[in-house]
Amino acid sequence: MEEKDEGAKIKDQGRDQQRGNHQEKTKHELVHIIASTNSDMGKEESPKTTRRTTRSSAAATSSKNVVEETYVSSSQPPTLSDLVLGEERESFSLDDLLSSFPGRRNQIQELLQLLGPRNSPMLPIFVYGGISTGKTSMVLETFRHLKRPFVYSSCLSCYNPRILFESVLNQLFLHRKNAVNGYSSAKRCESPSDFVNFLREALVSILGNLEGNSGKLSSKRSGKANGNMIYLIFDNLERVRGWEKGSTILPLLFNLYDILKMPEVTLIFISNASPDTYYSSMGYVEPISIYLPDYTQDDLQQIFLRNQANKKLYASFLSVVLRPFCRITRRVDELSPAFSLLFTKYCEPVTNLGVVPNKELNQRLFHYFRPHVAPSLNEIFKVSSHPSTEVEVRETKGKGSTRKFGDCEVDQLDFHMPTSAKYLLISAFLASRNPATLDASLFDSTGGSNSRKRRRKASEKSVEQKETAEQELLLNPGTFPMERLLAIFQCITSIGEGSLDEEEEGYDGLGIRNGNGGLMSDVLLQLSSLCSANFIVTGGSCPLEGSTRYRSTVSEDMVLKVARSIKFPLSKYIYR
Amino acid sequence: MARENPAEKALGLLRSRLCDPNFAFKALSHSDDSNYSKLKFLVSSSITEACNNSILLLGPRGSGKIAVLELVLSDLLQEYPDMISVIRLSGLLHSSDNCAFKEIARQLCMEHQLVFSRMASFDDNSQFMIAMLRECGLAHKTIIFVLDEFDLFALGKQKLLYSLLDAMQSVTSQAVVIGVSCRLDADMLLDKRVRSRFSHRKLLFLPPANDDIQRLLEHILSLPTDSSFPPDYAVAFNAKLQNILADDRFKEIISTYLNFDSTVKHLLRYLFRAVSYMDLESGMLSLENFKAALSNIQRHPKLECIKDCSILELYILVCMKRLEVKEQNSYNFNSVMKEYKSIHDSVKTSDYFARNVCLRAFEHLLQRELIGYTDNRGQNHSVEFSPVKLLVSFHELHQGLKSYGSCPKSNVLGLSLGSGLEYREATATSASTLCLSKPKTQNPSLSFHYLLNPSSLNDPLRQSFKSFTCLCLTLSCSQSTPSLSPLWFLPQLPFNYFTSQATKTLSEIHFRYLIFDTIEEKPLAFCNTEWVSDHFQAVIY
Repeated sequence: MEEKDEGAKIKDQGRDQQRGNHQEKTKHELVHIIASTNSDMGKEESPKTTRRTTRSSAAATSSKNVVEETYVSSSQPPTLSDLVLGEERESFSLDDLLSSFPGRRNQIQELLQLLGPRNSPMLPIFVYGGISTGKTSMVLETFRHLKRPFVYSSCLSCYNPRILFESVLNQLFLHRKNAVNGYSSAKRCESPSDFVNFLREALVSILGNLEGNSGKLSSKRSGKANGNMIYLIFDNLERVRGWEKGSTILPLLFNLYDILKMPEVTLIFISNASPDTYYSSMGYVEPISIYLPDYTQDDLQQIFLRNQANKKLYASFLSVVLRPFCRITRRVDELSPAFSLLFTKYCEPVTNLGVVPNKELNQRLFHYFRPHVAPSLNEIFKVSSHPSTEVEVRETKGKGSTRKFGDCEVDQLDFHMPTSAKYLLISAFLASRNPATLDASLFDSTGGSNSRKRRRKASEKSVEQKETAEQELLLNPGTFPMERLLAIFQCITSIGEGSLDEEEEGYDGLGIRNGNGGLMSDVLLQLSSLCSANFIVTGGSCPLEGSTRYRSTVSEDMVLKVARSIKFPLSKYIYR
Repeated sequence: MARENPAEKALGLLRSRLCDPNFAFKALSHSDDSNYSKLKFLVSSSITEACNNSILLLGPRGSGKIAVLELVLSDLLQEYPDMISVIRLSGLLHSSDNCAFKEIARQLCMEHQLVFSRMASFDDNSQFMIAMLRECGLAHKTIIFVLDEFDLFALGKQKLLYSLLDAMQSVTSQAVVIGVSCRLDADMLLDKRVRSRFSHRKLLFLPPANDDIQRLLEHILSLPTDSSFPPDYAVAFNAKLQNILADDRFKEIISTYLNFDSTVKHLLRYLFRAVSYMDLESGMLSLENFKAALSNIQRHPKLECIKDCSILELYILVCMKRLEVKEQNSYNFNSVMKEYKSIHDSVKTSDYFARNVCLRAFEHLLQRELIGYTDNRGQNHSVEFSPVKLLVSFHELHQGLKSYGSCPKSNVLGLSLGSGLEYREATATSASTLCLSKPKTQNPSLSFHYLLNPSSLNDPLRQSFKSFTCLCLTLSCSQSTPSLSPLWFLPQLPFNYFTSQATKTLSEIHFRYLIFDTIEEKPLAFCNTEWVSDHFQAVIY
């Protein structure tokens, strides 16, 4: 019991001392939160305490504690020890490290071997692996274990070279952005040459400090800033490729070690993409790579079992769901929200959550639960915009109906879209899907149904060779000018009104039936809002006509649903 | 207390040696015809005779150009103190002329204890440089300009190069310009007016010979037997090391490694990995360390990626492969889904998932870079509609599936069906189009890059595939650039992979005739990959 209290205390300290996120902790934390899925947080080995104390921009001002801490921290100038992760007297042993990353024993050991003993120089290394495989947290936790100074900057939050450079320099100059200095950086640095000059300057001063410290050997300092090496960590390196100046920054980063020529400085790159995707015409001596494979099914089992209150119950739950879900994805960040919902469902028949399941209970639960697995597989990636409680309420309401899960997106559309926008959506879809030459035959209001069919058949032949080959190949929506869209819109609104009298409602009729002027402005407004909602995209403009062309991106299913909601006979108008 | 552990100390020593390229090159530099002595002679003669000079150091990345230069400079600084000042520029940092002049002015100011003004204009800086050159010439002081990544300076208007080389035409100045580049054709990049002022002295850096490497290994890995280590430990360590070095298995490992990376830097990188695996308990290096390092450094990133995929993602990959086999030259998510459905219709499987799930799997594949958009990301299409392509070759996919643990049957089925089609197709079309088709359907630089990735060398299929892509690229390059350059220096290629012995002796024309003859003689030869590897063995490796 006491141990738990200790753990909680440490955690509270950590939480109190969180001051803003200077260095993109969000993703890092997310991984941890996920790793400790929906659980009690009382476990000591939970890596959630990963907080770089101090040195921050004091961006977060949400809680009172944070404000107080900012005040305190601004009164104390940042020191060298801020480059070390973790509390001063906190010990984070190798066993803790290994146990907090199930299935990563080999990689951690390799990393430790490459980092080597204290004060031994190192060549740059490159850590890569898929998304949510624990690259960042593994590296950072390893440094927490080693207690060596490092500088972490993520190319995700530092989204251009200047911010990246300044973020590195700020940390090295032990500079903290605050109100006193107007939240400015230590150095203004835009060009690579300035960066290298400043970096050298900062590193020399820091390394001098480090050596002084290790020379002193005072007992107070000995726990901090272990060794006189400094490590520069660049996270999310794959982002740099997309930058405007990425083609010059990447070779710079890869060659930085050779440019600096300082054996006390080492670079660590963390990336989602494998090293072979960093092709550049310049070439570079490839850094030493460490690969983190995706978690296997057994690893996932261990990860999800961590921090569970009732491990036996959860294990029986996992034995049901893990295998089918692994066929779709093995990413922890996608599995854990899906599992957390399913687990509550799984537990529904159980009254006491602390129960130790026996064989009989397991079977009962399994029978109750089995019908839910298959549909939920197809729901795994659904991002629900509601907080989870609300979703549950909706689900319990709509028991039995099979549609309840997936359709909430379209349901919402029903509520939020004006009818004219729905018509516009349908007409855009038709304009994209049907060849333009068939418009006349499809929307000929004077012709009877017979003549329409005949004419349609006649023109079908002529168009067939040209259109089908291209359009069916890509199943790509065609582009259309706005005039055509509006013409179709006119046609289908008039048809919709004529054939469906009962649909006639006060508010939607108004906009459509009124004279052309009112309608047009309204429709154009709807069109632009549909464009901004990405239902319709503006394609490249035709060089001959000069007008912009549009393209509908909605799927057929969705249009069918929209059409059903306004009782529009869509199938009559789709050319197949 | 850890300080006293000799094993840890030895490890630290070895690591610091490996991280310092100068240490390695010192061992190689003492023969008379080495680049070190040539360069030293050139530079020191221009110092003593007070004349101007310009030299280019060329060689693949990691061959120690800068390291040798640094050795020479540090020696000269000792020999002629107060007669040299060194200005170092790097094309990566100072490729713009403005920036370069500023940096030169800054370093000159530092050197001569002047106050540098950051506000000085481009003109001020360049005039300052000319004036300093004259002053130094009068004082018989040589300024050595080191231009790293020389080719990058030649990208723009070359103002810097022009004014540097032009200033050296006068008698008053006394300077040496040393350009360092990985491109053999670096001097061809220069404008006419710049080129005519350049001395055309070039030093080539080649990978070291085998006995040099043996010497280097011993030099780096053995411990000094002076007082710094306990004598019995150092002796035992060195004896063990000699054992390993003499071992045939070790020689094999090293030669495997050198087959794809024979520059010294890469060797150091490999040794670093091996040394870091050293067992601190016993404090000795072992053969296992080198073996482990070799297996860890030879990676198959694409295969690993395929192994990471979930079953659903594999299905999508196979669907795309099938579409490619059907000669659909452009396809997107929708057509992939159609194919997916048809697979499901023909082979009933349990793995049929909804469209949105597949879309997410598709996005995962995009993130893993196993597939990519065919055109650049400029388009405002949504993911479903933009055309995509596979970034893995058929063989990689096949191998990945074979090594995949729980592979469903229909995947293999789909693929084998696909491969059958491919070979039939190959007999129909001519061999030359087949062998060129890979770079065409994929982004050439990308596919080329992973084909040439050193990690894939021990895979026989890939090896032969590499060989003919290599040849194809030789052809296409030779058509685009009229100047004849040895293969390993072609500017488009990551030349650090091109260090095979054969290319040094055989010219590009040789390759061309070889290929054309082969295609005429046996048009189907290129379909059979074994044939290629058998018959081109002499040429490639």
